Amino acid sequence: MKKIKFKFKIAAFILVALITGSSAGQMVAKAAEIPYETYNYNYWGDIVITPAAYVPNGSVQASDLGITDFKEPQDFCYSDDGEVYVADTGNNRIVVLNSDMSVVNRVIDTFTNADGAQDTFSAPYGVCVSENNELYVADSNNGRVVVLTPQGEFIKIIENPQSEILDDNFAFVPLKVTVDYADRVYVIAKNAFEGILVFESNGEFTGFFGTIDVKITAWEKFWRRLASKEERSNQQLYIPTEFTGIDVDDGGFIYASNIDSDGIQAVRRLNPQGNDVIQKGENSNVGGDLEFGTYGDYAGASEITDVVYRDKGIYSLLDRKRGRIFTYDKEGNLLYIFGGLGLQEGTFQTPVAIEDIGEEIIVLDAGRDSILRFKETNYGSLINEAVSLRYDGDETDAIAKWHEVLRLDENNELANSGIGKAYLTQGDNELAMKYLKLGKNRKYYSIAFKRYRNDLLASHMNYIMTGIILIILLIVLYKKFNVREKIRQKLQQKESVRREASN
Amino acid sequence: MKAFIHNLFDKDKWQYAFYTVSHPMDGFYEIRHRERGSVYVSVILVILFSVCFSINRISAGFIVNDIDPRSVNSFKELIAVLLLFFLVCVSNWSITCLMEGEGRLKDISIAIGYSLIPAIIAYIIGTIFSQFVSLDEGAFYYMILAVGVSYTLILMLIGIMTVHNFTLGKTIITVLLTFVALFIIIFVILLFFDLINQVISFFRSIYQELIFRA
Repeated sequence: MKKIKFKFKIAAFILVALITGSSAGQMVAKAAEIPYETYNYNYWGDIVITPAAYVPNGSVQASDLGITDFKEPQDFCYSDDGEVYVADTGNNRIVVLNSDMSVVNRVIDTFTNADGAQDTFSAPYGVCVSENNELYVADSNNGRVVVLTPQGEFIKIIENPQSEILDDNFAFVPLKVTVDYADRVYVIAKNAFEGILVFESNGEFTGFFGTIDVKITAWEKFWRRLASKEERSNQQLYIPTEFTGIDVDDGGFIYASNIDSDGIQAVRRLNPQGNDVIQKGENSNVGGDLEFGTYGDYAGASEITDVVYRDKGIYSLLDRKRGRIFTYDKEGNLLYIFGGLGLQEGTFQTPVAIEDIGEEIIVLDAGRDSILRFKETNYGSLINEAVSLRYDGDETDAIAKWHEVLRLDENNELANSGIGKAYLTQGDNELAMKYLKLGKNRKYYSIAFKRYRNDLLASHMNYIMTGIILIILLIVLYKKFNVREKIRQKLQQKESVRREASN
Repeated sequence: MKAFIHNLFDKDKWQYAFYTVSHPMDGFYEIRHRERGSVYVSVILVILFSVCFSINRISAGFIVNDIDPRSVNSFKELIAVLLLFFLVCVSNWSITCLMEGEGRLKDISIAIGYSLIPAIIAYIIGTIFSQFVSLDEGAFYYMILAVGVSYTLILMLIGIMTVHNFTLGKTIITVLLTFVALFIIIFVILLFFDLINQVISFFRSIYQELIFRA
């Protein structure tokens, strides 16, 4: 009897689960299915577990496609034509895959150079396809950037930058490369601490770009002052960190990632003058994890190795320390975090590069020698769409998306403040206040509150003024007729009357 | 208990606390020499200060309040404030005793307790006012708090000065020394607890050894 009851209970439970699951009509990936944690930080910097924005969607090995396996590939690039170019560094070749990465379109390992001789790559480290459909390969050990057609025919070579600002024995070892709409070439080179090297389209070196300032704390300055000259020469030099990854957005702004040991700013958005114009959001932080330990294997700030500009101001950072992918919007708000290190399917060993191919994010793993694919979930796509709508100025259309996000993730501060902002522009101050408070958006809440308060004051002005006048009148009357004094006199009179009576 | 209730409902004692705020020189003098203050009232004021402080942290308006209300524990704050009050009184007393101060422990605690009145009022007014300000008017809120707290600090200084019959310079020196004494007291207490712990664990290990061997 008991057993039957138990079975019945299970059946009922499953039924209820099925009904609620199907009626919701939305898939929220369960934590158990995903090999990593998906979380975000709330206003107070606490970790909040969120639904997954992206889930693993398989991986691509070169051996499955009929060619020899990748060997420590370091970079890849998604072209406008929908092809994926992989810089297969260890095998000295460029592998071109089709858009769903199921077919090898071609392998570029040799080309005919300007002299008509056969030429090869030596550890091609970075790869980029320009808007004009030219393939740029950072041929690191040969100290040059090779420019080819997508088919592998030679166009030109950029090498040997000449300038007074360069050190005499500076060896040009290009690591990462990107090209803007005007065919200016931006190169991250080894030991080029001054910044990103910029070349004109004719291959002429024009200068450095976006230097990272050295930070010396007052404490370090103090110790350097105490140290003698010999001690000082033995100390390590304070040199700026190098850039690690680079990408360019539609407007020609360069996104460049670097490793920030403080975990505050790991990406820069450089305008054509080379000034950083990134927005750091409410936390004033675009450096990956806000919270991290100070000792142990997982200690330290996120080490951002690559950045990808996606669309509508959204960009993603790839962290090699904990294998996380951080996605920010244009204002520097953290949208979602996913990814992790490990041996399971869908986790990384040595993530080196990240690209966006429409509905998917792909990550190149030099440890696994494969490309990992991540598919956007309903949750992820809703956030992407809502942020895109806001970027375009469609705040009202964004409300619907944000409400959907709230159904999946009730405490999403971004969604709440997104809805609040939209209500604010519509003029519904009371609702705007409610959502902006939930979204912890102090600045916009203040605007909504001020409008609400002033409206309230204006609409009830007659009552307020009447009340004030009445109160003033009462005080005046009270003083004039001296009520208190009269009461006292009366009491005294009574008292004296009583005394007389008793006497 | 009787004295407590008597003092608590004594209108004159309460009125005198406010008189001290508006006339600090005379007020503190009479606390020392005419027994017009009350330690009970002073302790109540300290508790009131702690409560107002916690209320401000929990329910000041969202626009000016950056504190996670879940992180506020008003009971812990009350204990901390009372402990600090007690420690400051004791350390000030122990310093001024050596520096020929005239004040008794009673006078010091009354002076410090009464000095908190402006801060209490500022926190209450600020909390109410914060419900009606927007971000650009937030400066007024911070101004209210700053005025209240700085008046309290000035009153404390005057209080200690008058109660002990010190000059201003000597008062400032004693205040600095008070903090030194405060740290010494805390250090000794911690040392004491640590030693007690060691002794307890010593006897416990003897006991365990005996039990395991028997």
